[in-house]
Amino acid sequence: MKMTKIYEGAHQWVMFGRDENKPDNIIDSNQYIVRTANKCLLLEPGGTELFAPMMAAVLHHAPVEQITDLFASHQDPDVISSLGLWDQALSNAKLHAPALWEGYIRHFGCESIEYVPIPDNGETIKLESVELQIIPAHYLHSPCNFHVYDPVAKILMTGSVGSAWEGANAPVFVERFDSHVEKMRYYHQRMMPSNQAKRAWIDRVRNLDIEILAPQHGRMFKGDDVKRFLDWFDALQVGTGV
Amino acid sequence: MNSQTKSQFIAVASITSELSAVMVVAKEISLAAANAKAIAFRAGDKAKGFQPITDFINELAKETIELVTNINVYALLLYRLTVNEYRRTAAYNRFEQVAKLAVGAEYADSMQEPIAQAKTIMQDCQRQFKRDVTQLLGQLEAVMHHARAARVIAANSRIEASQAGEYLQSLQAVAESVDKAAHTIHDNVQRCRIALSIYRNS
Repeated sequence: MKMTKIYEGAHQWVMFGRDENKPDNIIDSNQYIVRTANKCLLLEPGGTELFAPMMAAVLHHAPVEQITDLFASHQDPDVISSLGLWDQALSNAKLHAPALWEGYIRHFGCESIEYVPIPDNGETIKLESVELQIIPAHYLHSPCNFHVYDPVAKILMTGSVGSAWEGANAPVFVERFDSHVEKMRYYHQRMMPSNQAKRAWIDRVRNLDIEILAPQHGRMFKGDDVKRFLDWFDALQVGTGV
Repeated sequence: MNSQTKSQFIAVASITSELSAVMVVAKEISLAAANAKAIAFRAGDKAKGFQPITDFINELAKETIELVTNINVYALLLYRLTVNEYRRTAAYNRFEQVAKLAVGAEYADSMQEPIAQAKTIMQDCQRQFKRDVTQLLGQLEAVMHHARAARVIAANSRIEASQAGEYLQSLQAVAESVDKAAHTIHDNVQRCRIALSIYRNS
């Protein structure tokens, strides 16, 4: 599992992904942690198959007892099917996940972890002195979906938005935006169902000061590529499956 | 899922299937008892010896139905325990994998406590499963006992039927159906016992 520190300040952001040992027939996914002095938040913890390499990688940054919070943007298995294992490993943790999906996500196993339902209009996660904003991103692609914005690190974790299907050797940041577009086009056209939802989200996030846009699959966008991505997504017709 | 876990799931699931067949047969015995009672009543003095037997048959059928109902509830609990044991074992194995992958990580040692806890819970589940299987086998033995009793009653029924003159054939048919049902119950329960016996407490 590759680990990349993407923000270092009073707290840290680390991106995990490109697991070389994952089975070939499951999609590669990006996981993130936000680490403060005594706490650790795991964003998009990943599927069951990824649990062992992911937990082992996190242990380079935080002890088990300090993994206190988990976040799932939506209910898909590549996002949170490892929950049943985290549930047995963590003794005092909370899962922040969409209220709408609570009954569904609990199928993965959630007995000791406290499920903190996120209302439709979002909320704030407080991790010691760090305040993370939970931004609504409904229908992108899941009907009830959220992103995480850190105004200090200027990172927006965007779940499926900005994702691309790529191999385990792909770089972690977009290097040439124009050529990367083709890796994202079909994914966004097919996975995102609503142009209206897309426009509402773009209007919302254009007001945020973003240095890194961090999706759940594929490469992250940095600096000017963030604006390039928003412009490209704005112009893209989505919902092409029908 | 390894083959041991698969056979455990199959063994537990097969109990419910075998016992639902036993339930059907026990209900048939109950019906045969009611039928025998009516025939014996019509036969009057010719089937005097048969009349008390019909009550035995009915009682036996009722007790078998009750026993099987209880065992089915127990079998469902055993199934849940099997699912739980599977989850706990899977978690323990993953945690062990984490420990191997985390060698050299700054906080690798912090995984030791979750591993120890997972191991304890997994072993508790395994012990509980063996205890429950032993208990279930005891309940199945009680059903076997009823099946054996039904066969003795069937044999007595045949003797009494032979004294019943023109009712001989009808009462012999009752005896036959009780005997057949007893055999079926015996065979089905025996299959349950064989499937479970490898998991019992030694």
